[in-house]
Amino acid sequence: MIEDIAKNLINLKKKFTTIYDGQSQIQEIIPVSKSELFPIDQKDLELLHEFAKISPIYYNHYEQIIGNTTCVVYEGDINKYWLNSIQHSSSHAPFSPTWLMSAYICALFAKKFEYSEVIDIGSGDGRIAFCAKILDLKSYSIEIDDMLVGLQKELCSILDFNPHCSDATMFDYSSIKLTKPLFFIGGLAQMGGNSLASGVFDKISTMSNVQQNSGWVFAGTYSQKYLADPKNEAGWGTLIEKNNLKSVKTVSLPTAWTFHELDETPYIFAKPL
Amino acid sequence: MSSFDDIAVMFDTESEKLLKIIDIATLKSDLSISEIIDMYYQIINISSMNTMLKQQINSDNQKPLLDKILKIEKVITEKFDSDIHPRIMEHLRKSIQETTSTLQSGSKQKSKEDIENEAKSYEELRQKMSTKEFVEQYDKGLSND
Repeated sequence: MIEDIAKNLINLKKKFTTIYDGQSQIQEIIPVSKSELFPIDQKDLELLHEFAKISPIYYNHYEQIIGNTTCVVYEGDINKYWLNSIQHSSSHAPFSPTWLMSAYICALFAKKFEYSEVIDIGSGDGRIAFCAKILDLKSYSIEIDDMLVGLQKELCSILDFNPHCSDATMFDYSSIKLTKPLFFIGGLAQMGGNSLASGVFDKISTMSNVQQNSGWVFAGTYSQKYLADPKNEAGWGTLIEKNNLKSVKTVSLPTAWTFHELDETPYIFAKPL
Repeated sequence: MSSFDDIAVMFDTESEKLLKIIDIATLKSDLSISEIIDMYYQIINISSMNTMLKQQINSDNQKPLLDKILKIEKVITEKFDSDIHPRIMEHLRKSIQETTSTLQSGSKQKSKEDIENEAKSYEELRQKMSTKEFVEQYDKGLSND
């Protein structure tokens, strides 16, 4: 069950936070091999490790046993990407990645829900699109920041997940053949995600066949640091209601921005009513 | 004591504190982020007390208090709004520009220690940027007055 893998990842992250004593800005873990807790194809795990080892975001890695699971700890720094991204007036949210394992679990759900394509909007380093490609889904990555798209192109040497350097609210979605797409929206609702999602939704609403078959995934938060949405859904309730969507699944997963938090990031899967 | 009296007593203490802060800021060209935040906090605090007290002053025997309020308002307008605040805005703008240029011009090959040390500069840059946003909010308030 994918839900069990998600829960096991959260438990692993909680153990990791108690023993991690490094100084890196971001850090994440990936199990070395398939196990009872993480029944994932070994080939897929190896591709996740390859992504982290090639990505210039990570500058150090080492093996560590966490609980009973042997993992590789990846230490990284995204400061220079942050500095570049805040210089875009149209950038909706500064780059901060989800964990690779979380991206992979999201892609497993995309596959389970039988979507044909994954479109990673505001994709950062493109890891969600990359994970979808691992699972043989057609994947597209749309990112406004040229430095991040440059990084994605380096990572395409492993698997081509179709990076596009574009403002996702202006992108011509009819240029890619979409049949049953799942859109992942980068950024919390309160951190620009709302306007990004609204812009993309406006574009897709002009393609009625695509819109009816589409699915949407929103990264939410329950943190009191952010203004709560009156319709809940971790900040996305109003947008979900306004666009005639319904939430069908919420899965909590570790992300770089919740590493020091007790609550993980809820990913809300929604589809048209 | 009534709440008016409480605020009047507090006003005495807090306005003295503000005068000292302004004296230091007048002489010092390079204020730390925490000094800048403390100073704006104190300015906002005193300005709120001034507004509240002025609305409730209604007798001649409260004239000394009114004089104190007018005196501190004059200091805020002449020393802070006209001199210190524009200097701080300029200082933050330049400092952000310099730190950004330094960070952008760094060499490509860095050790683990270099990256982790540089992360501290990025953290300082983020602090300066959010302080600048806060200071700009104060400036917008001045423009709307």
